Order: sequence, then C-alpha cells, then structure tokens
Amino acid sequence: MDNLPTLLMIAWLLPLASFAVICIGYSVPQLLGLRVRYSTQKIASYIAVGAIVFGFLISAYCLFGIWLPEHPLAASSHHGEEQPDELAGQASPFRPTAFAEEHSEEGHKHATNGPPLYQAGDWYTLARFGSLKLTIGYYIDTLTIAMFCMVTLIASCIHIYAVGYMHDELHDVTDHEVTLSNGEHLHRRGRFQRFFQYFSLFSFSMLGICISGNLAMTFVFWELVGICSYFLIGFYIERHSASTAANKAFIVNRVGDFGMIIGLMALWSTLGTFSFGDVDKADGTKERGMFSMLHEQSNGYELAPTQRMIDFDASRQSEGSEPTNGQWLLFVAGVGIFCGCMGKSAQFPLHTWLPDAMEGPTPVSALVHSATMVAAGVFLVGRVYPIFTPEALLVIAVIGCITLFLAATIAITAVDIKRVLAYSTVSQLGFMMLALGLGGWVAGLFHLITHAFFKSLLFLCSGSVIHAVHSNDMRQMGGLRHKMPITAYTMLIGCLAIAGIGIPFVLGFSGFHSKDVIVEQAIHFGQTNGGYSWLFVVVPLAGALMTSFYMFRLWYMTFAGKPRDHHRYNHAHESPWVMAGPLVLLAVFAIGVGWTLPMQMPGVLSRLGVENLLDTARPVGQLGNKHGVLLPNLVIPDEHASHVAAVKIPAGWSAILVAVAGIAGATVVYLWEVISAASLRRYLNLLYHATWNKWWFDELYDFVFVRPTLAISRFIAFALDRGLIDSILHSFAWIYRGLAAVVAIVGDRWLIDNSVDTVAEKTWDLGLTLRSVQTGQLRQYVMFIVVCTIALFIVATLWWRFAVAG
Amino acid sequence: MMPLFANILTEPVGVAHYLVVGAVLFVCGALCMATKRNAIGVLLGIELVLNGANLNFIAFGSRYLRDSQGTIGLDGQLMSLFVIVLAAAEAAVALAIALNFYNSFSSIDVDQADQLQG
Amino acid sequence: MSDPIYWPSFFFLLFAGIACAFAIAVVVSSNIVRMAFYLVMSLAATAGLFFVAGADFVGSMQVLIYVGGTLVLLVFGVMLTSQDRFISMKTSRFELGMAAGVGACLFLLLLFAAWSVPEWRSLSREQVDAIALEPTATPLGMALLGARVDAPESPDVAGYLLVFEIISVHLLVVLVGAAYLARAKRKGSAIAE
Repeated sequence: MDNLPTLLMIAWLLPLASFAVICIGYSVPQLLGLRVRYSTQKIASYIAVGAIVFGFLISAYCLFGIWLPEHPLAASSHHGEEQPDELAGQASPFRPTAFAEEHSEEGHKHATNGPPLYQAGDWYTLARFGSLKLTIGYYIDTLTIAMFCMVTLIASCIHIYAVGYMHDELHDVTDHEVTLSNGEHLHRRGRFQRFFQYFSLFSFSMLGICISGNLAMTFVFWELVGICSYFLIGFYIERHSASTAANKAFIVNRVGDFGMIIGLMALWSTLGTFSFGDVDKADGTKERGMFSMLHEQSNGYELAPTQRMIDFDASRQSEGSEPTNGQWLLFVAGVGIFCGCMGKSAQFPLHTWLPDAMEGPTPVSALVHSATMVAAGVFLVGRVYPIFTPEALLVIAVIGCITLFLAATIAITAVDIKRVLAYSTVSQLGFMMLALGLGGWVAGLFHLITHAFFKSLLFLCSGSVIHAVHSNDMRQMGGLRHKMPITAYTMLIGCLAIAGIGIPFVLGFSGFHSKDVIVEQAIHFGQTNGGYSWLFVVVPLAGALMTSFYMFRLWYMTFAGKPRDHHRYNHAHESPWVMAGPLVLLAVFAIGVGWTLPMQMPGVLSRLGVENLLDTARPVGQLGNKHGVLLPNLVIPDEHASHVAAVKIPAGWSAILVAVAGIAGATVVYLWEVISAASLRRYLNLLYHATWNKWWFDELYDFVFVRPTLAISRFIAFALDRGLIDSILHSFAWIYRGLAAVVAIVGDRWLIDNSVDTVAEKTWDLGLTLRSVQTGQLRQYVMFIVVCTIALFIVATLWWRFAVAG
Repeated sequence: MMPLFANILTEPVGVAHYLVVGAVLFVCGALCMATKRNAIGVLLGIELVLNGANLNFIAFGSRYLRDSQGTIGLDGQLMSLFVIVLAAAEAAVALAIALNFYNSFSSIDVDQADQLQG
Repeated sequence: MSDPIYWPSFFFLLFAGIACAFAIAVVVSSNIVRMAFYLVMSLAATAGLFFVAGADFVGSMQVLIYVGGTLVLLVFGVMLTSQDRFISMKTSRFELGMAAGVGACLFLLLLFAAWSVPEWRSLSREQVDAIALEPTATPLGMALLGARVDAPESPDVAGYLLVFEIISVHLLVVLVGAAYLARAKRKGSAIAE
C-alpha cells in the first residue's frame, strides 16, 4: 500500500520522460538546423510507445496487485454502505469506524456515506505565499486507479495505431491542402517524432489531472492538456483550417477557464486550502482538505458551508434579506468549476470547438475524444463532486441535457465521418454530465470509462477508413466491408456498443450497461421530483434513439450497400496489423468492459467490474436524498435507490427499445432504402437545414462575439477616437475660447497678471531648478542615491527614537 | 568600540566584524561608482557593492558568528549564490552595453552619456 | 595576553585587511587596468572570508565564478575599449571631495548600524569550538533542487526549486540579450546577400 503513490508516480512520469528524451534528442537538433534522419525518427515512436505501455503495466499492477487484494470487491455488497465494518479495521486510517452502525436494514433509507478509501499526500511544496501553499500532491482512490488504467490502456492502443497511421510523416510530405502563393502545394519535411513528442506530453498531462491532489495542481495540468490539444489539433499547422481550429479550441477553453478561476478563488478564499483530501503532516496532525471541511463528520457527512463561508456571506448581505448561509457562495464555486469542465468537455454553449478539432490527425481525435481532453472535464466534475450543491448539480444536468440533444440532432445530418463521431462524442458527454447532475455519480463515470473504449475504437476505425480511401466524406464511400473486413466488423461492434444493445437484465455491450444506469437515475429523478423533471427522462431517451440511428447510418453509408465512388473503392485496402491490432483489442474491451464478473470467481476477480470498482470510490456524502436549500423543492435522489425493480424494469426496456428503434430506422432508410433519405430531407426541410448548419451556433457566436469584438475595436479606433474624443476636445477648445473671451472682457486683468502669471513663472522656475538635477551624469545619480539613503536612515532613526520608542 | 578590537586575536569574531568589512567594501564600491568616469570602472564599483552585500548575507547565515537560533541558516548562503549568479549575468549585459556605447561614441566616458539630461 | 592566538580570528583579520586595502586601492587608483587587478585581489580575499565564516561552497563559487569568470569578462571589456586616453580619466577635485565626504558619512552610518545590535557580537571561544564542522555543498545543492535537508520537517523553510528555475530562465534571457546587444552590427551589404 505504501508504494502505491510511488508506483503511480512512475507511471505518470514515464510519458514525461519520453517527451523529454524525444524533445532533446530530436526536436532540439532539428531546431539547431540538423536534419534528423527518418530512420532514427522511427525510434522516437518506440520510446513513446514503450513509455505508455510500461505505464499501463504499472497501473494494472497497482489495480490488480495492490489495490484490489487490499480492498477486495467481494467483501462489499452491491450496496457499498455495508462494507465499512470490514474495511474499518484495515489499512485505511480514513474510514470512520462509527459509520458502520449507521446503515439501516431497509434498502431505501440510507444514512449518507463517509469518505471513500483514499491516500492523500504531498510530494513537494512548490511555494508558500502566506497561507496559500502550492504543492505537488496526490489523491489516490479507486477512481484515480481506474482512470490510470483506462487512460494508459487506451493511450497505448492509440500510440501503437499511430505508428502505422502517421507513416506518411516518415518521408517528405507534399500537403495537397495547402497551396502556396506561387500556386504549388506545400512541400515540407515529415514530422513523425514531433507527433509522438506531443502525444507523450498529452498522456503525461492527463495522468497528472487524474493523480493530482489539489485543485491548483489540477489547474496546471488542465492548462497543459489544453496546450497539448492546441499543438496536436494544429499539427498540420500550414493548413489554415487546422491553425484556426487549434486557436478556436484554445480560446473557447479559456472562456471556460475564466469561470474555473472564479470557482477556485471562491473556494480558496473561504476554505484556505486547495487539497482534496486530508494530508498527514510531519507532526502527526492532519491538514484538512476541502472535502472534509465541507462534509463534517459531526454533521453526518452532509454538505454544509463552513463557518467562514457563512460569515463571508453574511458580511455581503444587505439588511433584511433572507440569509443564505453561504449556499450562494458554494453554488458559485460549483458552477464556476463546472464552467471549466464545460469548456474542456465541450458542453453547450462551449461545444463548438470540438467538431473543429477534427482537423488534427485521426489518432489525435481518438485520444482527445476518448481518454484525455474531454474526459478531463467529466473527471473533474466527478472528482470535486462533494462541493456541488443540489442547485449546482441541477445546472450541470440541464447543460448536459441540452448538449446531448443538440449534438445528437447535428450528428444525424453530418456527412463527414469524423464529424459524426465528434458530435456523437459531444452528445455522449452530455449523457455523462446529465447523469452526474442527476446524482448518478457512478453512472456518469461508468459511462465515461465505457465510452472511452468504444469511442476510441470508433475513431480508430474511421481513421483506418480515411487511411484507405483518403477522404472524410461518407458520400464517397460505401460497400467497404468487402475490402476491409476487420475495420468494418470492429466498427460494427463499436456501433452496437455506443447504441447500447444488449439483452435487458442479462448481458450486453458495454454501452448497454452504462446507458442503462443513466436512464435508471433519470427515471428515479423524475419519480422523485415529478412535473417537468420527466424531461430529463424523455430527452436522453430521444438522444439514445438518435444515437443508434446516426451510428448505423454511418456504418451503412460507409461499409454497406454499393460503392459510390469506384475510384476510391478500388484503391481501398485493409490497414496493416499495427493498426488493425489495436482495433481488435479495443473491440474486445468495447464488448466486455461493462460486465461485472460473478461472485464465484476466485481472488480479486470476484465481483470485478467497473461499476463495482467505482462504487467503492463514491465521494463523501453522496448516499441518501439531497435536498436543495435555495430551491427547496429540488431533491437529488439517492443513486443506490435507483436500482430497485420499480425503476430498473421500465429503464431497461425503454433503453433497449429506443436503441433497437434507432437501428431499425437507420436500416429502413439507409440499408433497404424503403424511404429515401432525399425525400425525408424534403419533408423535414427546416429541421434539416437547422441541423445541417449545426443550429447556426458558429454563425451565432460569430455574430454575437467575434464581430462585435472586431466592430468595437474598429469603433474605438475610428468612431470613438475620431468622432467622440476629437469632438469633445474640439468642444472643450471652443468652450475655453469662449470663456477666455469672457474673462478677457469681463475679468480682472490685474488678478490674472498677478496670480496666473506668478504661478506660471514659479512653475517655470521650479522646472528650471529641478532640471539641473537631471544632469544625465551617472556619477551624480549615484551620489544622490547615497545621500538620500543616509538621509532616510537618519530620519528613520530619529523617528524611531522620538516618535515610536517614546 | 574598543572592546571589539582589544581581544580580537584571541577571541572569535562576530557578525559585527563581518558587517564592518562588508561596509568597507560597500562604501568603496559606491565611491567607485560615484567617482570613476570610465564605464568599466563603474562596473567594478558595482561588483564591489554586490560583494559587500554578499558578505553580510554570509555573515548572517553563518553558525560560527552568532547564536544558531538567530542565524538565517542556509538561506543566507543560497541568497549569496543567487547574487553571484546574477552578478555574472549583470556583468555580461553591462559589458555589452559598454561595448555598444563605445561603438557609437568611440568613448567609454560615462559623462558623455548624458542624452537624457533635463 | 594570557590566551594564545585564536587562528580563525587571525585569518579573518588577514583576509579582511587584504579585502579592505584592495577595495580602497580600487577607489584610489585611476588606472583602469590596475583597478581591475586590485578588484581581483579584493574579491579573492572576500572568498577567504567566506571560508572563515564556514561557507565553503559559496567561497569556492566566489573564486570560480567571480574571480575566474566575471572578472575575466571585465578584463576583456578593458582590453576591448582601452585606448591610451581612456586608461586613466581624471575626475575633478571638487567631485572627489564631495564623494569622499558622502562616503565617510555612509561608512559611519553602516558602522553605527553594525555595532548597535548586541546580538551581533561574537560568541565565546568554547561555544564556537563546540560547533561541529559541516560541509555545505550537499545541503545547498539539495536546497536548489527543492529539498531542505538542513531543516527537515520545519514548516517555515521551503526549497528553492522555483527560484532556481526562475533564475535559470533569467540567466538564459540575459545571455541572449547580451549576445544580441554586443553583436557586430550588420552592414547594408550583409543584408543584400
């Protein structure tokens, strides 16, 4: 147990080492003008692949070799609250023993839970400014380890895949999408090593977010992830579309980060710490973290603002208004941090950067869309979950709901194979946020992990297709399953997984299991709150219907039917094994990662499953219904209570029904072509145009933000400067002239001569006197400094003697 | 003042003694800056001033010169290390400026660098 | 004089004498080449003072960087710019007198400050002898890398990793800037190529 932080640190730092080696070994010589031979560039990819694969092995060892034997899942029942009496006596000092008696026998009435098992500590103190301590620390719980395994495994697959995919960069490249001013295409050196250099940095940053022990460190790696995505999206920097897309991703993320900084400030100024968990100090006491401050044990682990928050709030409140007891502050902090997550995870209104990010090479899209960048936002929401008030959770749920619906509608009409997947990612992220916002902590993160597997699979498959036909446009594909069977059938698995196909209550693809718990949570939320809250059930179901529809539309258009472009079809070929291998591996995980092994399995395998794993990481104070304070009618339901039959049965059937209906619809339209897509397009003309133009979000932002900014600057430059300021100055001049005339005629000549002129003269004289001080002579300046030092010292001494000391 | 010098050869020295030496270096440096017309001479003065300050840092950080409760410990030595490094950097930049000055005025008399006079 | 000579004090006096004498010589001399030489001697003697105060690493750095590096740079400056008329440039007597007066004031002030604090007087001989000799290079190096092995567990001291990094970047920028400033100006013909 003790070496767990060290091992994870190694897994975390390995990609950094690989980055450093490639940077020093290849990029620096290249900067210095040396030509690095392509045969040696190949070694760079082996270094990066080796680092990440080794990182995965270490992470897997940490999970199966250290963590699970120490805290076996078999000991905990599905209802996590029954485990503590076993675990309380064990290694973890954090588990409160008193908690064991609290749980009641009835399934529904839970006392809320204590903190999960975790290890927290600081590796290094970077700096200390007053009470602000900037540390590099760790906070390791089951979620951290699960994320480590997921990120390193998927990144390994994508790294290996990229060795094949980026093969073009191993010789000089002629970029046909860039036309120079002389009409020729851009001819440049390949940049194989640079790609892997950024990839390593990217993995390092993401792992840093996962292991980070405090919000300040999270923020650092958060920005690092942002800059890496900027580098990678703009990998083909000479293409105008790529560089603007990189800029867009970076700038849109800054908008969200602004909110995040507000959240950080609100938290720090009232809690005085950034660290998540309690950290052991050298003298044996504990330095308390945010979570335990907000969820006092004496308070039964319920979320409650600290005294400082209440005082702060009271000091800002006007007389007579209802006291909010710091709830508003907590709400602002939560929503602020969620703003950052909104940017990273591409939630409505900041979702526009993600589809543009398709300009990067496909492995980048796969990494960004599954394991790293967008996962970071959802992960952070899951990590800081204890600080969210029910009202903040409602905001998250609403945003997630809007996102999943909008993105799904856009995906239906997109024809670029990668853009369909991009909007599908946005939509699935909306599902996760919705689940988290409705109180389904496990549901949201479970979907994050299953989605990471099948979405990376889908992206790599699409990359394989693009590699084969050299086009992104699905209208130029078709029938490709004869040419590239491995890609076609692994992608089919991915589509089935994302659609959520399975046999209800028995077994299914991974997406089936995770989507099921989300729908369960939504239905439970609807049952608890009633009224409009059923929208949170209807919209995700509609989203799921559209998901299966557009995914199978994609598959049919690409792989089924007749080839539409024979030239491209004839040149298509199956990808080499270095690309197909990861596809098969990821397909296996896309099928099985949602499964839970039965109780009877031996050792650590007993009851092993992502859902059970995550259940042991449930943050403090998340069991039991949570009631809103600002909105008294709001109830965030208990997640465990969502697994009862009254919820489970309608959820399971409705989820599978919409999935099958979506597939059926796609089959009717795109495979059998009973109804032609063109006629549908005509019937739903307005809707079609809205989705085809992505609900005009880009145009809207261009109109609302970009153009006004440009217009304002233009306005300031011309209208304001010329028109306003100049005219003000002119009018002042005119008024002064008038006044002067009045004064000259009416005013007292003598007074003017003797006051104004004297002042002017004295100022002039003073200026002349002071001017001689500015001699420009360096040596005289030195003398001034010395003399003034002496004078200051004497004054200070005298003042001390007579004024202060008495 | 006398008791400090009376038995200086038979008793250990204290922080105050170092401060005196530091003061001498500092004042010499300041005077150098104030009287030399040669730009390089001014530079030499700066080096002396920095050394005077350095000596004080070392004295305050030394365990041999006063009670170890009162010393600033290793921080003093670290500070003086940083001062040494920055002095090296400063010398490089100042020399570059001096050379530039020499190139444009064919002289390194700082009295000629008075374009900024009022 | 019952006590034998205390040798560290003797060396302190020796080095202090050399340092002060050469520092004064720097001020008094008007020949730039000699001034540079005197400064070398003064700084070397200061390094000796560092050794006496127990700062062995800083002392050796003083010799290496200052005496060995910075001053060589200065001497180069002297050589590059010295023409006969610049070797010695006279300052007016009035200015010299002014400077001497002000300098004396400053010196008295510093002297007063140094003597005024009783805690800054010396320890007794027994106390100093009881202090074990410790090399400082390792703790200094560790402190620069961020670990304070000299004061473990103390909450108030922090490592200097951040400072170290900032200074490294600063040095780099300074050197680039110096190279840029000092480089020979390209003539028009060079641009035309």
